[in-house]
Amino acid sequence: MKEEVVAAENLRKSYETYLRRGLFNRERKVVEALKGVSFRIYRGEVFGLLGPNGAGKTTTVKILSTLLLPDSGVATVLGYDVVKEAVEVRRRIGVSLTVEKGFFWKLTGRENLMYFGMLYGMDGAELKQRVQKMLELVGLEELGSSDKLYEEYSLGMKARLSIARALLTDPELLILDEPTLGLDPPSARLLRELLIKVAHQEGKTVLITTHNMFEAEIMCDRLAIINEGTIVAMDTVEGLKKLVSDEITLEMLVVLPARVSLKQLREEISEVVSSRVEVDPMEEGTRIRVVMRPLEKEQATQEMLRRLHSMGCSVRRIEVKEPTLEDVFIELTGGN
Amino acid sequence: MGLWTLLKSGLVLDIYFFKNNRAQLVSMFAWPYILLALMLGMGFLFGSAETFKSNVGVEADPVVFFVASTLIAMASLSVMWEVGGTVLYHRWIGTLPYVLIAPYRTSITLVMSYIPRYLLWSFMQLSEFVPVLIWREGLVGGLADTLVMGLAIVIGMLPLLGFAAIFGSFLLTIKEETNVLSWLNPIILILSGAFYPAYLFPIWARFLSMLLPTTYTFELARLSSLVGAPKLAEMTFLIAVLLGMSFLYNALSFTLMGKAEKRALKSGAV
Repeated sequence: MKEEVVAAENLRKSYETYLRRGLFNRERKVVEALKGVSFRIYRGEVFGLLGPNGAGKTTTVKILSTLLLPDSGVATVLGYDVVKEAVEVRRRIGVSLTVEKGFFWKLTGRENLMYFGMLYGMDGAELKQRVQKMLELVGLEELGSSDKLYEEYSLGMKARLSIARALLTDPELLILDEPTLGLDPPSARLLRELLIKVAHQEGKTVLITTHNMFEAEIMCDRLAIINEGTIVAMDTVEGLKKLVSDEITLEMLVVLPARVSLKQLREEISEVVSSRVEVDPMEEGTRIRVVMRPLEKEQATQEMLRRLHSMGCSVRRIEVKEPTLEDVFIELTGGN
Repeated sequence: MGLWTLLKSGLVLDIYFFKNNRAQLVSMFAWPYILLALMLGMGFLFGSAETFKSNVGVEADPVVFFVASTLIAMASLSVMWEVGGTVLYHRWIGTLPYVLIAPYRTSITLVMSYIPRYLLWSFMQLSEFVPVLIWREGLVGGLADTLVMGLAIVIGMLPLLGFAAIFGSFLLTIKEETNVLSWLNPIILILSGAFYPAYLFPIWARFLSMLLPTTYTFELARLSSLVGAPKLAEMTFLIAVLLGMSFLYNALSFTLMGKAEKRALKSGAV
């Protein structure tokens, strides 16, 4: 049975904001950030909260990090209530909320980690070794940047240090709010690889928020799509894709020998797949378009290629079109 | 173990700062002398040491009097700035959430991690004045003065920590990052009698002065400047008042900080 690390049940949160109306007047406005959010995260899982800006991702993350109190609902981390047992929760989590700040500018990366380590109750040789290990793990040691002042760090280095701090106390749960936001592609890739490694090799549970579809797809074991304070869907990436369409489209461009007619070609392909087959003559060859179920894809494609080959057709191009996570996201969030 | 590492974290933070910011270290040593020179220089413009004694109304050595005032003024400002203002500082540089998720109550984190820093700074500055005190009072007298001032620094810190934490809790709850402390600190210093003796104030100001722990800290430190041996009864009385205030303000700050933390966590001010 899977062990539950995070359990959120019907979390609700509203904020009061004020719209300025001139120098002395202001208008009170209540914004409902969370409207009953519930989800579970299991041990060793990389769980993603995917949503547009203002969807409630950061609010959820702050509640689980004990930095914000919910108006109602219950959330537990490793069985500890985030409101009533906040100190116990804090002992078991590592948090990264922003990558571009959150450290002392006049201290080096190593000194910053030493300070936060002590603040979190670590000391002595254990702390020194752990700091060294984290600096090596995130690659700052390799870059020769561990003993550089934080003010001299690039954004990529700052992000690495932020992950190092989150991992410093060897927490069971990592909570990361948009950890690759603003990073250049190589830095973002490095950080993603690092987080996947940490989750899968060291058995950490990771909660990550993002609005980057690619990142969500390659990193997360399961995803919750959140929009306007509500979770609109939650599943694996494949599961979510099925919500939008249960079919994939295979498109091929082939050149037929003179003896093969379009009718013959259509009949031959139709014997392989159960669904619709379109055959259209094009300038550079003949386009075959087949809509099929994902389970059919592998076997049917091989069989079609075998038959085309035996008919003497040469295949110029083959392309599989399936719904992307972006399609799912846009469908479920109404293009928000 | 937990609280010890929390104390140590405050100390190493300062050591790292000094190591990486040598100019700050130099200015820290130079500042008390600059302030003292300014006070004495202005004082001597208005009259001699004898004029000072007759104006202040006590038999005091003006140099020792101002050394005591300077030390306590700087130490008090430091507590107010560092404990009260640390919330603002952490918020500005983005470290506040990471400090708040330390596994302690916020009031404990803010106060405990600051104590080593206060003691380190204050005693470094006190040690700077030892030659001046020995010059004015002789070896034994100078060391006795140092001892009294050191006592005032340590005992005076206790109620101030609670007092400053109350302001810290207020700053934690507000979202607008107004630097209240920059206008509050000079008022506290004036009302505490840092510049003019409190007995010269109007009644309302004297009443406010009585509520401030800094008033008694200044008094205690200034006992060292009196000509002749410090009066033991007076010192005991001031120490008792400061200890009583320590209990009062720290208990109050502990309660208020809990409430402020809850309010900040509820409103999303963190």
